[in-house]
Amino acid sequence: MAPRFKVRALKTSKVFKNVTIISIVLLSFFLIFFSKSDYFIINNIKNFSTSVINPFTKVLSAPFTGISNVVNEYKQFQSLKFENKILQEEIVRLKKWQTLAIQNSRENRVLKRLLNATDNNLKLVKTASLVNRNDTFFSKIININAGYESDIEKNMSAINERGLVGKIIETSALKSRVLLITDPNLSISIKTISDGIFSLVSGAGDNKYLVSNFIKNDKIPKIGDIVVTSGTAEIFPVDLLVGKIAKIEKDRFYVLPFVDFNSIDYVQIVTSK
Amino acid sequence: MGLQVFKTYFIFNIILLFSFSISVNSLLHIEIINILFYFLFHLTFIYFLFYYYHYTHYILGFIYGILFDIILLNSIGSHLISFMVILSIYLLFKKYLLLLTSNQISLIIFISLNLILYIEILLSYFLNNIYFTISHLFNYLVISIIIFIPIVTILNKLNK
Repeated sequence: MAPRFKVRALKTSKVFKNVTIISIVLLSFFLIFFSKSDYFIINNIKNFSTSVINPFTKVLSAPFTGISNVVNEYKQFQSLKFENKILQEEIVRLKKWQTLAIQNSRENRVLKRLLNATDNNLKLVKTASLVNRNDTFFSKIININAGYESDIEKNMSAINERGLVGKIIETSALKSRVLLITDPNLSISIKTISDGIFSLVSGAGDNKYLVSNFIKNDKIPKIGDIVVTSGTAEIFPVDLLVGKIAKIEKDRFYVLPFVDFNSIDYVQIVTSK
Repeated sequence: MGLQVFKTYFIFNIILLFSFSISVNSLLHIEIINILFYFLFHLTFIYFLFYYYHYTHYILGFIYGILFDIILLNSIGSHLISFMVILSIYLLFKKYLLLLTSNQISLIIFISLNLILYIEILLSYFLNNIYFTISHLFNYLVISIIIFIPIVTILNKLNK
């Protein structure tokens, strides 16, 4: 148990002490009050945190990151035999799909030429790798190793080979922070591919699903429908893959994102052309 | 005495720095480590505040509050307010704490730990729209019960 209470501290002038305490409390209220607005001081604090504090904390936590990697390797090793069997089956399946895809791709190219259509609406700004993650508690944020020196700006979209990952919320010279789509504070305007139902989804708070918070004309989509960004809010480019409808409740639906957020190594920062 | 106090200050600050660093860097495959160090940070901060109160604790609370908020929430609010609240409550009730026995002090530290964690959760819900459930609060209580005695024992040894 804790010992009896006895304060042991260094002596300082009482006036200086009181002035310091009052100044800090006032400064705290000032910062809290202005934190939601984009003021110069707040942005500088955020930049400092992204470019200096994050790398520093990463170095200090390096031994535990190493242990985490070893645990991951061990888990992967344990499931190696099972995964190998699944992969062999998948190779056979993918070979069939590949033949079909090549045929479709040729057909697509010919049809595009006939329609005089452009290839896609995306402009790749930068491919960046993951530096560290801050998504265990509270917000779902990851840090990447490219900043405004690589022309990355706030509100650009982050994608990977599976689909939409998130949105840039902070940039410093060499680092940026990405808010993942599983965060409850990030709303995405989406549409279903099959019947074009427009809606807004945001993180459900369980780190797994996205939940709808507005559905245009109250049309509920079907389970299994694939959803893409609609581009209507002009934050995300149009037609980025988001996920598929996984479950439906009375007046809302849940989307399971295609991206595996536990294995993000690289992201591409894109914007509309 | 002065040198001894400085030495303990230094050790507690090192613990705070390490536990802060480990708690904000998500370890995907051993998330429990993040949670344990997050609790360790809060418990060390409260323990350090109770036994080595100095006005510079406000500076520590201010810096760590801002950093936790920016790294974990991307906006300043819940952690900074929680640290300022716990520091102010301590200042208000400091004279009464001198009358308490060691068991009562342990209980007060335990209650303060849970109080600060719950204030953070509630404020992040109101200010940043971060959801929580009752099971979330219950988990926090269970973890704090499990880790409280071992960590306080270690801190007592360092304190001596």
